[in-house]
Amino acid sequence: MNPTRKKRIYSILFVFLFSVSGISLILYSLNSNLDFFFTPTELKNNNIPPEKRIKIGGMVLEGSVERNGSEISFVITDYENSIKVIFDGIVPDLFQEGSGVVALGFLNNKIFYAKEVLAKHDENYMPPNIDIKNDS
Amino acid sequence: MFDFPFKSIEEALYMNGHGIYVWSVVLVVTFCLIYAFAYYKIKLKKFKKKFNEPN
Amino acid sequence: MYKYIFYFSLFIYIFSLVWGVLFTQEDFVQGNSFRIIYLHVPASFLSQSIYAAMAISSVIYLIWRVKLSAYLILAMAPIGALVTFLALFSGSVWGIPTWGTWWQWDARITSTLILFIMYLGLISLHNSFSNHEKADKLLSWLVIVGFVNIPIIKKSVDWWSTLHQSASITLTDKPTIDPSMLYPLIGSIIGFFGIVICLIIISSKVQIFKREKTKSWIKDYV
Repeated sequence: MNPTRKKRIYSILFVFLFSVSGISLILYSLNSNLDFFFTPTELKNNNIPPEKRIKIGGMVLEGSVERNGSEISFVITDYENSIKVIFDGIVPDLFQEGSGVVALGFLNNKIFYAKEVLAKHDENYMPPNIDIKNDS
Repeated sequence: MFDFPFKSIEEALYMNGHGIYVWSVVLVVTFCLIYAFAYYKIKLKKFKKKFNEPN
Repeated sequence: MYKYIFYFSLFIYIFSLVWGVLFTQEDFVQGNSFRIIYLHVPASFLSQSIYAAMAISSVIYLIWRVKLSAYLILAMAPIGALVTFLALFSGSVWGIPTWGTWWQWDARITSTLILFIMYLGLISLHNSFSNHEKADKLLSWLVIVGFVNIPIIKKSVDWWSTLHQSASITLTDKPTIDPSMLYPLIGSIIGFFGIVICLIIISSKVQIFKREKTKSWIKDYV
C-alpha cells in the first residue's frame, strides 16, 4: 500500500481511538449518574438527602400491593433489599405484582413517596396461552 | 401459526384500546416511507428532465 | 436489479406486517400494544446500521478518496435521520400504554436521540459549506468520531439501569420472544432493510446528479 494511504489509515485509527478513549472517560466518570434509577440496595448504600427527587426501580413484591381509596402502597424489591412506596394516583396498566416498576419521588423516613409510577417490562414476549399455540 | 385472534374487523381496529397506538404507528411509518420515495423520485425526474432538454 | 429488490422487500415487509399485526396472538403481559414491535425494531436496527454504513464509507473516502463513497454518506444521512425518527416515534407511542410515559431520559432513549441529532447536524453542516470537497472530508471525520455512539446505544441497556428492556434477539442466546412472534419480526426486519436499501439507491442517484451535473458523461448516464 502506498505510504500516503498508510498514513491516512493511521490517522483514522488515531482519531477514532482518541474519541473512544475520550468518551469512555466521560462515561466512566458519569457512571452511576447515567443510571435511570436506583435499586433498593444502591439506595441503602448511598446517602440520599430526604428532599432530593430520585427514581427507584425493581420488582413489585408479590402480595404487597394495598389500595386505600386512590392511594396505593407497595414494596419495591431487588430480592436483597426492599423499600415501601406510597403513591396517590393512577398506575399504568402493566403495573402488577411480580413485575418491574420504576417510581419517581423522594425518600422520607425509609418510606418512598412517589409522584409518578412507571411500569417496566422485560424482554420476554409470549402468547397468553401456550396450549393454544401447540394445538395449531 | 396464522390464527386471527380477533372476532371481528372492529375488534381488530380497536385492539382492546391499544388499536389507536398500533394503527397510528402503522400510518406514520407508511406515510414517511411513501413520502421519502416520492421526494427522491420527483427530484430524480427533475434532474433527468433538465439534462434531456437541448441547451 | 433495483426493481427486483424493491418489489421483493416490499412484499416481505407488508406480508410480515400483516402477519405480525393481525395474525399473531397478543403478548401475555403487554396485550395488543406489543404489535408495535414489528415497526419499532426494524427502524431501530436500521437507524444504527445506516450509521455504520456511513462510517465505512467515510473510511473508504478518507483512505482512497473514492468520490462515490462521499456521495453515499450524504445520500444516507437524511434516510438515517428519517429512520431514527421512526424508531423514536414508534418507541414513544409504545411507551404510552406500556410504561405509562412517552418520554424518559434513560440511557437508551437519550443515546438514540443523540444519534438523530447527529444525523441532522451532519446534513446541515454539509449544506453550510460552499466548497464541497472540504465538506466531504470534514463530514467523514465527524462520522468516524460519532461512530462511538453506536456501541453505546447497543450496550446502553446492559451497562446502565434503563427503563427500556434489554434485547430479545441476540447473537449469543436463544431469543426470548416466542417463535410465533419471532418469524414475522425477522421478516419485517429483512423487508425494511431492503426498502431502505432501495431508498438509499435513489437518493445516491440524486446526489450523483447534483454533484456531477457539469460532467459530460452525465448525459449518457441519464
